Amino acid sequence: MNRNRYLADYVTLLIVAVVLALVPLGVGGSAYYLRIATLMLIYMAYAVAFNIIFGHTRQLFLCIGALAGSSAYLSVVLVTKGSLPPWATIPLGIVFAALLGGVFSYVSVRRGLGVIFVGIVTLVFSLIFHNLILGLRELTNGETGIETRGLGAAALESGRGSYYVILAVLMACLVVYHLLMRSRAGMAFRAIADDEIAAELAGIDVTSYKVLAASVGSALVGAVGAVYAYYSGFINPTVYALVSVDIVVLITLLLGGMGTLLGPVLGGVLFAVLDELVRPLGRLNVLVYGVLMIVLVITFRHGLVAALRKIAKVRIP
Amino acid sequence: MIAILVDGIVQGLQLSLMAVGITLIYGLGGVLNLAHGQFAVVGGITTALFIGEGMNPLAACALGVVSAGVLGLAVDRTVLVPAYRSAGEERLLLGLLITLGLSFVVNGYLDYKYPNIALTIRLATPSFNVVGITIRTASAVVALIAIVAFVLLFAFLKGTLLGKVIRSVIQNEVGAGLCGIDPGRIRTLIVTLSAMMAGLGGVAQGLFSSLGTEMGNELTSFALIVAVVGGVRSINGTLAAGVLLGIVNAFASYFVGAYLTLIILLGTAVFTILLRPAGLFAYRT
Repeated sequence: MNRNRYLADYVTLLIVAVVLALVPLGVGGSAYYLRIATLMLIYMAYAVAFNIIFGHTRQLFLCIGALAGSSAYLSVVLVTKGSLPPWATIPLGIVFAALLGGVFSYVSVRRGLGVIFVGIVTLVFSLIFHNLILGLRELTNGETGIETRGLGAAALESGRGSYYVILAVLMACLVVYHLLMRSRAGMAFRAIADDEIAAELAGIDVTSYKVLAASVGSALVGAVGAVYAYYSGFINPTVYALVSVDIVVLITLLLGGMGTLLGPVLGGVLFAVLDELVRPLGRLNVLVYGVLMIVLVITFRHGLVAALRKIAKVRIP
Repeated sequence: MIAILVDGIVQGLQLSLMAVGITLIYGLGGVLNLAHGQFAVVGGITTALFIGEGMNPLAACALGVVSAGVLGLAVDRTVLVPAYRSAGEERLLLGLLITLGLSFVVNGYLDYKYPNIALTIRLATPSFNVVGITIRTASAVVALIAIVAFVLLFAFLKGTLLGKVIRSVIQNEVGAGLCGIDPGRIRTLIVTLSAMMAGLGGVAQGLFSSLGTEMGNELTSFALIVAVVGGVRSINGTLAAGVLLGIVNAFASYFVGAYLTLIILLGTAVFTILLRPAGLFAYRT
């Protein structure tokens, strides 16, 4: 039974990898669509990480953009001011993001904060991050931003090569997710999501598993954020703002389905298509995001994967 | 120095005007309204549009406040209904996400439709002197508006039967229901009232300096900080926290600059949540 489920997971991961790897061939030589596809991968990876934090342990982190930005800025500033190679600074950024996420989680579990206060604390952290970046002008250039160069051997210069690098990052996130879920921790996460008090009574150390989920999720967010910084060639506070990251990630996860392996991927595809459809509306797209979010929260809370499971009556990981 | 103090108190009163709405809606409906600043902006921008049409400013302000109230009423009766149907954590989460989405709807619409409209109300006499201190007329008017609004609110909540009903729902929704009170109708009343106070806050912002379409999120976060520091269930605490943070804001902006000030304010909110989740002025229970 268990072996079958893992097999289904592996098959799914393989299919996802192959299908996404074929996308650059599908879009032909269009640099525009290749960029859209790469951004789609980035948001999928964020959503996988957010899924671990929010989907499985119900910690509403409204600071995904700020965590990604903390990691990216740490890495980029060390490269530009300390003349270190990016390879050395990206891990530092990841560790920094993991520490931040872990601390938020630990403090909020210890203080017994409900979902709403975790939301407020992390939202406030997002605002603090935004203002710090604007305020520390001599390090971060404020609103103007910093230009970043690719990762040495032209791996992250725009184009097909960087698509595959970011695809590798996304697949790494999915594999980490899979490994986490099949381990003891995955069982604990499911118990916590069902009923926290019951989980605690059954002898599960809720605090450490929640902190674990938050740290691993934040580390993935940090990794994606830093890689994105070198891919896009330029970072400023708007790149990591609440509107640019958190809302998109939230919609992606809600569309796809929380607490599922395939949810973030399907949600990412759907969101990319929707985003393309509303692009002609120009500045109205923020309105569309808002409407989409309200409608999803009210009517489609379990997401596409759950809907497909119901309709097709098949097991989808 | 006294001028800074006066400035801070006035700004604090204006902040409380908006924060009290967040407090009331959270205390009564169990929904943390992340679109509260947008109510203020809708009120202010409507006022600006009516003034642009050549309407009497006072009537325009009244219409602006009413329009914020109408928006609040509509929101309460439509998108928030699913949140009210669920209970506990589920309601909090739904309410948070729905109002977050709502804030984007309002932001997106205003930014698209009226990108260059801002509300700035100029008064006939810019300033006057009281015992040697120069006070801006706008500050005095804002302070007056806020104080009158708060006195009316307190009189309403403490003095009338309806106010007593509202306080009973805040204390215990189920118990109030058993006494024959319909919590849904009370909720609608409070959301409308809070939206109108937010609209008033928006007009006050236009009077004080200027209110643009993009300021919704900023106003929401300030109001949220005040509501959190004051204790999200205590109206007196909200008022006190608003004035306190307004004074801190004014002095800190003067001495250490705007960026650091905002970080100080945000840090205060975080530490309040962590150390005294019920609010700075709450009684220990």
